[in-house]
Amino acid sequence: ILDKTRKLLAECGAQRAAKMATLLMFSDISAQKEASSLLCRPTSDDQGPVYERMSLAYSPCSERFTVGERSFSRQYAHIYAARLMQMRPLLSDRAQQKWGPDVLIRKLCDLQTGEQCCIVGTLFKRMELQPSILKEISEEHNLLPQPARAKCISETDELILEDELQRIKLEGQIDRDKCVTGSVIAIYGAEKNDGKFTVEDFCMADLPLQTPRPALSSDRFVLLVSGLGLGSSHADSMLGLQLLVDMVTGQLGDQGEQSGAATISRVLVAGNLLSQSTQDKDASTKPKYLTKKTQAGSVEAIRLLDELLCQLVASVPVDVMPGHHDPTNYTLPQQPLHRCMFPLSSVYPTLQLASNPHQASIDGVRFLGTSGQNICDIQRYSSMDSHLEILEDTLRLRHLAPTAPDTLGCYPFYQKDPFILEECPDVYFSGNAPTFESKLIKGPDGQEVLLVTIPVFSSTQTACLVNLRTLACEPVSFSAFSADDDEERCGGLWRCGDCGRWG
Amino acid sequence: MDELYLDNIDEYVNDQDKIVTYKWLSLTLGVHVNTAKQMLFHYLDHKRKESSAQLNATYLVSGKFVDNGQTCHKVSVVKEDKLEDFKSKMSLIVSVHVYSVQKALLKDSGPLYSVDYDAVKDNMKNCSRYSAIRCASAVPVCSPELQQTREIQQSPTPEPENKKPGMNGEANLASKPSTKPQRGIMGMFANKSAPKNQDGGKDVKPEQKEDAPVVDLHKGKPDVKANPMTNFFGSQAAKKVVKTVEEAAQSSFSAERQRQTSPPEEKPAAAVELPKDTKKDSRSKTKRLVDSDSEEEKMDKKKRRRIKKPEPDSSDEDVIPDSPQRMETREPSWSPKKKVESVSHSHGNSEMKTRKRRRVLKSRTFLDDEGCIVTEKGYESESYSEAEDDVQAAKRAPRNPVAAKLSSSTKPDEKRSHKKTSANANKGTKQASIMGFFQKK
Repeated sequence: ILDKTRKLLAECGAQRAAKMATLLMFSDISAQKEASSLLCRPTSDDQGPVYERMSLAYSPCSERFTVGERSFSRQYAHIYAARLMQMRPLLSDRAQQKWGPDVLIRKLCDLQTGEQCCIVGTLFKRMELQPSILKEISEEHNLLPQPARAKCISETDELILEDELQRIKLEGQIDRDKCVTGSVIAIYGAEKNDGKFTVEDFCMADLPLQTPRPALSSDRFVLLVSGLGLGSSHADSMLGLQLLVDMVTGQLGDQGEQSGAATISRVLVAGNLLSQSTQDKDASTKPKYLTKKTQAGSVEAIRLLDELLCQLVASVPVDVMPGHHDPTNYTLPQQPLHRCMFPLSSVYPTLQLASNPHQASIDGVRFLGTSGQNICDIQRYSSMDSHLEILEDTLRLRHLAPTAPDTLGCYPFYQKDPFILEECPDVYFSGNAPTFESKLIKGPDGQEVLLVTIPVFSSTQTACLVNLRTLACEPVSFSAFSADDDEERCGGLWRCGDCGRWG
Repeated sequence: MDELYLDNIDEYVNDQDKIVTYKWLSLTLGVHVNTAKQMLFHYLDHKRKESSAQLNATYLVSGKFVDNGQTCHKVSVVKEDKLEDFKSKMSLIVSVHVYSVQKALLKDSGPLYSVDYDAVKDNMKNCSRYSAIRCASAVPVCSPELQQTREIQQSPTPEPENKKPGMNGEANLASKPSTKPQRGIMGMFANKSAPKNQDGGKDVKPEQKEDAPVVDLHKGKPDVKANPMTNFFGSQAAKKVVKTVEEAAQSSFSAERQRQTSPPEEKPAAAVELPKDTKKDSRSKTKRLVDSDSEEEKMDKKKRRRIKKPEPDSSDEDVIPDSPQRMETREPSWSPKKKVESVSHSHGNSEMKTRKRRRVLKSRTFLDDEGCIVTEKGYESESYSEAEDDVQAAKRAPRNPVAAKLSSSTKPDEKRSHKKTSANANKGTKQASIMGFFQKK
């Protein structure tokens, strides 16, 4: 991989190599040579510059996550069966690469005691603290309804490997707290006399193959934002959102900034457009006479969203993904929001209502990502806290949402598991993270992926700009002033809308 | 550039006590955003030099900002007194310009948002007109193309949905979701009402057209709550209508298409059937009627579809093999029309076919095996032409005095009159069967 990078640098020429090394930021591109032209009188001739929005080839790959005719009369076991069936050959290959081509790959039913071999199967983590409805309603346990926990791991958790026919307990060189149910892995070790399998080493499917992305000639950007949180009771972030829209549509800023903004070829909104407060569950429990004339909170919020989107789509193509708090189905894959909710903005062809997860190719650069529910769920059932770390893990596991359908709601697929990554993306993102983080990772076969965790806008006032040419990502933050502001920085406590953690 | 804007801004700021943001100014004066920013600066500068005016300003600063090793592009709105401080913290300044000018000192930036929000809301269609970026692909698509693209996108998905409703045969293919809510009330009339609903759907469409100089037969749109009630009446009335007033089906049919030519006819037509989700059926119906050759009709068809947008997305668009029967079923139910209007309109429609087959709701009275007289209403095919319709309409006129009132009455009146006619209809049928029982003895 190092050789490849060197080669690339040499090919691009010294100047471009230098640029790539310094990672030219959006600010640098937008800065002007001459002094600001707006702190002066208007000149008579100047009508004002108009820059053309850079338009790039876009192709959504939406069929994968579109669920057409839905039938819920099925068991979830089929997904696991499909998952294992699809991943077994991949893992066998990896196992052979890692532990030698003559490593024994055994099914659990063929295990011999004491024999060093490799087994492939799905992990299952038995957790005491995992919420179980059966326990809750069981009278003998006498449990009171428990509040949702932030972390459901405990010392008594057990790891079990399950294949098509049997399951076996695992112990040894495997970090139980970092594993989650539903991951398909290959384990090397031996079964000891006590009927448990002692793990010496394990491996995951790792990144799938990646078709190299095209070399682009100029800088062009995609803006990633999530967690707009419209319709919330405190509207502090609204000016920040307006500034974001104004920047992207070329209203604010000097000429340099506006011409820089014209290189933002697309905006991708990754979920939680509405605030959690619009999901008022009381409506179902309140008596009808109290709620008759009241409108759901989401109605006004969607109207706000439509107006916001209308401003954006009049100037830039937008992909809108639904999230945990948005009015669409709960189970993954979430279907795109319906056009009828956006009467103002849906007349523009630039509005693209996408599913969650979403996959698209923008100017040949493949984007794949979710609104964050998969990451938050793994965070809840493991000891990992960093969204970026979890994001990388899911990529290495080659599965978008391993905890589905165990603890993460998902549609009962029958003969396929669409969350298995078949092709390696170039940009892999997840929305609604507590902070902005990004990392460029390399795969075993020369893949290069940019991982981005998009922060919640309503609390951090930050969005991300991905440079398609260099795969660099930088945050863009917006701020205003308020009465109790001594400093300009926006701080304060915030809470992650999905997992409830404070930050 | 003439300096009128200085006076304008002066007026807004001092006299009207407004907060003038660059965006608001740009939309109000119709100038490029950058020009608006410069205007604000000039005004500020000018006023301060000229007289120590009580003016406050906020600025927009953007640039590169390094925070704990993380470099980001930061965009901020700052108060004037904090401007220099802010600028010094940035490592690279990209833009500085006046954001707003106002008389009062703003403690909080909330009002800035409200001003911009109102400005944009009033100018929704033009919000990007004065901005510095133009997007070639962001052109609002007008309805026909939108419909087409949507149909193309939706044509794969409605297929599976079609299978189930398809089994209902007579019943609406497309109205599966629509007839469900009605089933509770309309259970008895299920089969009969379903086609009625189809018919009604078309009527609702003309109702929704704004350009029909609508006689106020029914004020207001049929809202969902009223619909079950009106459906109840509607179906009864419809049956009665078919029995008594035989519409110049073709004329009313084409009238629906050429709504400009026959607005009054449509109103009662719509009034009779006020079903809710039949819109989609009518939409599918309009698609079927490709034999109409006027451009106008096509436009109407498509415009109608656009308005119907919310409903059809969830239902199947491709209501396939439409039997001609279904098409004709609709026609008779159109309004307890006045023969006068139907006559006049039948003359007006030269483009439509003169001879058609259609299904008409007719009552058949017969003796069943037990010797009882049974009256059944059923659809029968019959061929008709405009000429016949006139005759039939004339025949029907005396039979339906109530219908005469209909076109001039308001919606509630109509309902009542429908109820009357429907009640009459009911009585009529019941009497026949009662006699049948006596005869048996």
